[in-house]
Amino acid sequence: MISPSRLRTAQPRRQFQDRLATAIIVVGAVAVLAAILAIGIFLLWHSLPVLAMPLPSITQKLTVLAWGTLKAALFTLLFAIPVALCAAVYTALYLPPRMRHRIKPALEMMEAVPGVVVGFIAGVILAPWVEQHLASALALLVWPPASALLAGLVWQALAPRRLPFNQAWLWLIPWLLAMGWLALWAAPLFEHYLLGVDLRYVLETRLGVDYATRNAMIVGIAMGFAVVPGIYALADDALSDVPASLMEGAQALGADRWQTLWRVALPAAGPGIFSAVLIGAGRAVGETMIVLMASSNAALISASPFEGMRTIAAAVAIELPEAAPMSTTYHLLIFAALVLFLFTFLVNTLAEVVRLRLRSRLLRLGGGV
Amino acid sequence: MNRHATPPRLIARLAAGSIALAIAFAIAFVSLFASTFFTTPVVANTAENTTVRGTLGAVGSDTMAGLMLRWGEALAQRHPDVTLQFQAGGSANAASALIAGTARLGPMSRPMTTAEKQRFTHRYGYPPLELKVARDALVVVVHRHNPLRALTRRQLDAIFSTTRRCGAEQPILRWKDLATTQDWPFGRITLHGRNLASGTHALFERRALCGGEFRRDISVHPGSAAVVAAVGESPGAMGYAGYHHLSAAVRSLSLYNAAGKAVAPSRAAIQHGDYPLSRSLYLYVNAPPDAALPPAEQALLRLIFSPRGQQIAQAAGFVALPESRRQQQDRW
Amino acid sequence: MNRKAAWHGLWPWLCAASVALSLLLLGLLLTLLLTRGLGHFWPAPLEAVTLTSGETFAGEVIREAELPDRSGQERLYFIGNRDNSAQDSHGTRFRWVSLDTILKREAPAQLVRLSRSPWGDFIGQLEAFEHSGQRLEDNAAWQALSQALAQPKNARPNARLTLRPLNGEAFIQPLAEVYRASRPNAMSWLSKVRYWADGVGRFLSQGPRAANTGGGVWPAIFGTVVMVIVMSVIVMPFGVLAAIYLNEIAQQHRFTRLVRIGVRNLAGVPSIVYGVFGLGAFVYGIGATVDEWFFSASLPSPTFGTGGLLWASLTLSLLTLPVVIVATEEGLARIPDAQREGAVALGATRLETLTRVVLPMAAPAMLTALILAVARAAGEVAPLMLVGVAKLAPQVPVDATFPYLHLERKFMHLGYHLFDTAFHGDSVQAAIPLVYATALLLVLIVLVLNLTAIFLRHYLRRKRATT
Repeated sequence: MISPSRLRTAQPRRQFQDRLATAIIVVGAVAVLAAILAIGIFLLWHSLPVLAMPLPSITQKLTVLAWGTLKAALFTLLFAIPVALCAAVYTALYLPPRMRHRIKPALEMMEAVPGVVVGFIAGVILAPWVEQHLASALALLVWPPASALLAGLVWQALAPRRLPFNQAWLWLIPWLLAMGWLALWAAPLFEHYLLGVDLRYVLETRLGVDYATRNAMIVGIAMGFAVVPGIYALADDALSDVPASLMEGAQALGADRWQTLWRVALPAAGPGIFSAVLIGAGRAVGETMIVLMASSNAALISASPFEGMRTIAAAVAIELPEAAPMSTTYHLLIFAALVLFLFTFLVNTLAEVVRLRLRSRLLRLGGGV
Repeated sequence: MNRHATPPRLIARLAAGSIALAIAFAIAFVSLFASTFFTTPVVANTAENTTVRGTLGAVGSDTMAGLMLRWGEALAQRHPDVTLQFQAGGSANAASALIAGTARLGPMSRPMTTAEKQRFTHRYGYPPLELKVARDALVVVVHRHNPLRALTRRQLDAIFSTTRRCGAEQPILRWKDLATTQDWPFGRITLHGRNLASGTHALFERRALCGGEFRRDISVHPGSAAVVAAVGESPGAMGYAGYHHLSAAVRSLSLYNAAGKAVAPSRAAIQHGDYPLSRSLYLYVNAPPDAALPPAEQALLRLIFSPRGQQIAQAAGFVALPESRRQQQDRW
Repeated sequence: MNRKAAWHGLWPWLCAASVALSLLLLGLLLTLLLTRGLGHFWPAPLEAVTLTSGETFAGEVIREAELPDRSGQERLYFIGNRDNSAQDSHGTRFRWVSLDTILKREAPAQLVRLSRSPWGDFIGQLEAFEHSGQRLEDNAAWQALSQALAQPKNARPNARLTLRPLNGEAFIQPLAEVYRASRPNAMSWLSKVRYWADGVGRFLSQGPRAANTGGGVWPAIFGTVVMVIVMSVIVMPFGVLAAIYLNEIAQQHRFTRLVRIGVRNLAGVPSIVYGVFGLGAFVYGIGATVDEWFFSASLPSPTFGTGGLLWASLTLSLLTLPVVIVATEEGLARIPDAQREGAVALGATRLETLTRVVLPMAAPAMLTALILAVARAAGEVAPLMLVGVAKLAPQVPVDATFPYLHLERKFMHLGYHLFDTAFHGDSVQAAIPLVYATALLLVLIVLVLNLTAIFLRHYLRRKRATT
């Protein structure tokens, strides 16, 4: 260690070094803050000229984009929320912690897959296939989940020891694969015998539903894939933060596991789950590449899952590099980006506040575990 | 932990910190400056056998992206020190980049509008140098199994536009509205097209829609290849794209010309302009009239108008200039 | 009640299924990329097809699809030979053939496949190899050709090949335009594996060819790496400083908490917004000014007033700043206060506490932060489209001329390369195998980085838990 005499002689220098270091840290932090503020200020400043534009043209352009953005987010959440929350319930409440710690990173890997790869698969591979095989695709959406229930029934009847429920996530994979294959095999037969023609033909000629190759359903699935892990991770955290004592109490009072979940765990973790969904919504609203590649980018206002949309993020990505700086389009697009920024920032802040509140509440409930 | 900082101390810290930061920025700036000062392309003199070097910056048409890249590759083979940096984004982008000065070469799949030329002239005092470098055409494509073979201009307009300026009375929305496709494919004609900034979009609007407006439910793709791929995957689709993007998955339609004759987009028909939607591809150069072009640019132009350059255009899927036109421009 | 209980027993199965489904989707995605991405380099067998019309052609089977009226199947062949055309139709590189029009399929061993420029692949027969007046035919020609191609490019003889497509006239092909040849039908397993490895090697080490529909992705890998390094150099100091400030120096009052929440939320702001900021503030704002001050000589061609490596790195470092701050702060917060108090009690100043005690303990956390930031930046495409990525930039941003690192240059990026080849290229069909390979590479890079971060974090928590 340093000898006392050296310590004394080095004292002023040490003091100075310390101050300098602190100052650098403070300045670094201030620079970071300034940079963050600069983003907001820049966006605000450059979208000010929008105020001078005629209102109808702005609203007309922005309504389409806003509608498209919300539609994409909605269909994403429609797919992502059930999957993510259900997965969180399973890992948080039914799995031993060790196994949970293994599965969680695996699910988080889904989020790491770059959007451009997901978009490519969805837009170039998935969308044309779905268009040609709509009945099979719908069957794939419906049958595997139903088959999971079937698996449960079979399991209850046979009660095999080798396949415990807490490993169901593993051995359900081959089951789902088999069921998916079954759906692919059976759907065209059903289509043939029940309808006699292509399902799309029935949709378009008899029901008047138009079908676009790259549509909201494709976007929902693809973006759902990207959003699921985010929602899952936060919901899983919230659910596993629910003190065990609460649930044990409920079970002691005669509730089964499912009732405990509905009556105790979900209400206790409710705000956390809410914030997880909010975060997912924020991500879905801002995702660019997936929408750009998997939606038709048509400036449509329609609610049909089989029609495309144009979102703010995709419009900015396609049009901004080509807009002359300081032109009307440029300012309008920057304004759209500002809307996106504010929206996600607010949604995320709300989610964060809710999450922190919940956390402290649960800590109190659990007696400060 | 000690977390009390009295105000004077804070000020001292801030001052010290900002000095440190200023130094850091100064270093950064010097290195930035050095970095480009020493790399501004050193252009050797233009004598025949000396090496030509330099960087060519081009911004513009997606349609011509493949062509420009191939020309760039061939140029790099001939002059290893010349590199072509190309950024695709649409023809409108070429004009604005030329005017803003972010590029000196602007490949465009349509001629510059008078407004764009005026803005350029206003900024530089001279008009941009306009070169026709190859022939191309817009083709209307349908799925390879689609029975449709030919369209009149009115029908085309009625399918793609809301305004129907070419004179059609009814919009054509569904396949059953056309005589040859009564039975199949069914449903709506799903339309595929390009984004707003592309020259393909602008040209199609002007020539096929008689200057009218596109329908709003057209799927917008960021590239022509994506349009063709989308149409090739979907029996009920129709789209427009550059001729060289044609693939085996789609069929190009013949169009009726002014004489009432259906003309297929063949090479000869495009080269001589018989096919109604044929066009020239342009390269705009920011060339002051009183000064010679930089050698790297000269080398590129020499390549483009050489027989080999035109062969490369054919290989890229375009149509070569008529021989007389090529010789006329081969003067670099 | 009983019935209800049975239902209650069933619902959890849906939950288990959704975990299984997620894992399954991820697995399917990776399998798809692996098989398609790596399979592309495998020498596919060539077929000589005779149609009922009497026509013959040679090609590689790409895929099959159902006819739209569901009356049968059709098959897509890659037939190459773009120059073999009196024919005017353009899809000559590919051909869809309905299965019921096919009379005969054979796999003759002497079919060759040549990669050439500028006309792309040739599939057909090699008739002769002519060199300095000597004419070799058939097998001897093939031997001579493979020997010639085994030599480095500038040592190859100035020979001419006579090629004959199955459905056309023989023609002369200079050897200089050929860079690879194979006879897949005659190859043994071992040589196929070697050919495959060679293909993968070329993909990783060469630049793109034929307008990004062929060749490799080396410049894109290089550009991505350089961009990520420059970004890390910018983001790490600031991110770590900010984290230290938030956790060690700032008083923990309401404002600090607000800042912390703000920083966290920045991680959720869409990346495209950062791109917009980068374009408007860096490129059009600072870049244009820098040009006016320092590079007015080269105006109107911009130096920094257009997208480039520096602006892209800066934009991405803003984007990854919250990632770095959050991960570092998490590491700092895990260090027990007792450690700091111990150091202070021994008379250490704040700097000494930081450098000797806190930062060494937080080093793995900072490493995790770096890895997470890099993983995020490597996979991000949307903001780069606005601030400086190029379709093809033959000049890599690092070279041997001073100052070696050229911050103003445009660069290529794996993710954008993927998007570009899939949507902007000449032909989607021709580019798709390469897109798969690029996607696989990108996903592998990002996943490996993320796995490392997860492993580090896990290791860190375990270590903390035991001490």
